[in-house]
Amino acid sequence: MKRGLAVAIATLALAAPAAACTPKTSLSYLEGQIMCPTCHTTLDQSDSAAAQQIKAEIAKRIGQCWTAKQIEDELVGNFGQGILAAPPRKGFDLLAWWLPLGGVIGGAALLAFGVWRWSRTRGPEPEEPADELDAETERKLDEALARLD
Amino acid sequence: MTRPLKLTLQLLALGAVAGLLALLVWRLTHQQHAPKVGAAAPGFTLSMLSGGGSIDLASLRGKPVVLNFWASWCDPCKSEAKVLEQAWQRYRGEGVQFVGVDFHDVAGDARRFVSAHGLTFPMVQDGSGDVTSGRYGVSQVPETYVVGRTGRIVVHIAGPITAPSFAGEFRRAVAAALRS
Repeated sequence: MKRGLAVAIATLALAAPAAACTPKTSLSYLEGQIMCPTCHTTLDQSDSAAAQQIKAEIAKRIGQCWTAKQIEDELVGNFGQGILAAPPRKGFDLLAWWLPLGGVIGGAALLAFGVWRWSRTRGPEPEEPADELDAETERKLDEALARLD
Repeated sequence: MTRPLKLTLQLLALGAVAGLLALLVWRLTHQQHAPKVGAAAPGFTLSMLSGGGSIDLASLRGKPVVLNFWASWCDPCKSEAKVLEQAWQRYRGEGVQFVGVDFHDVAGDARRFVSAHGLTFPMVQDGSGDVTSGRYGVSQVPETYVVGRTGRIVVHIAGPITAPSFAGEFRRAVAAALRS
C-alpha cells in the first residue's frame, strides 16, 4: 500500500512539470531554425557529431519546459548569431529581410514599366498586302501562262 | 525610352555588376587559411570556459604556448585529452603554457568533458568559431599549434597529437619552442 502510494506520488511529481509546459516547444521546428555550426546546414539536415550534440541540448531544454525563444537565446549566447538559420528581424539584420523583397518589387516595377514603354512606342501594324492583283500584273501573268501553253 | 532614363538604368545595371564583382573579390581574398609556420600566431581574447575571466594570447608573449583546439563532440579529442594533460604536467614546470580552445561546443558539455578527463590547463571558449575557424583556419578538431616565445608559430599539427606521425613532431616542437 505504502509502495503504491510512493509510486503514485513520484508519477505525479514527474508528470507535473511536463503538464505545465503547454504548448510544448517543437523539436522539429527548432531543428529547422538552428544551424549546425560545423556543416553549415540546419540541424534537421545534419547528422554530424556537433549537430547531434545541439539536438540533444535542445531536447533537454524542451524537457525542462523552455520556450523556443529561450532555447534560441541560449544557443546564440553559446555559439553567436551565426547559429540562427534566419537573421533576427531587427536593426541592421532587418536589411536581410527587406532587400530581397525590395529587389523583387523593384524588378517587377521595372519590368512593368518596360512593357508599358514598349507597348506605347511600337509603330502601327504594317498593312496586309492586298489579295487582288492589279490589272498590269494580271495581264503579265496571263501572258506568261499563255507562253507556257 | 528617354535618354536620361536609359542612361540611369544602364548605370544601375553597371553598378550592380560592379558590386557583385567586388563581393567575389572580397570573398576570394578573405578565405580562411591556416597561418603558416613562422608567421605570427593570430591574437585573440577569449572567455574562460569556467566562466570567470578571459585569456589574451598577447599576455602570454615570452612563454612557449601550446594551443589545442578541441570540442566535446569530437571523438579523437577524447583520446588526445589524457596525453595533453600528461604533456602539460611535464612541461608546465619548464614554463610552457597550455591553452585549450573549445570550439563550436555546448558549454555545459565542454565543462563535463574537462571534468571527466581531468584536464587542468586553462580552457577558453570559442562558441562562434570566429577565432578557431576565422583566424586559425581550423575546420576539424583536434588541431594543435605550438607558438614560440616570440609569438611565432613553431608547428601546426592538424590531427590528434596521439597519432604516431604527430607524437614525435609535437615533442620536438615543444622543445624548439622552449629554445626559441
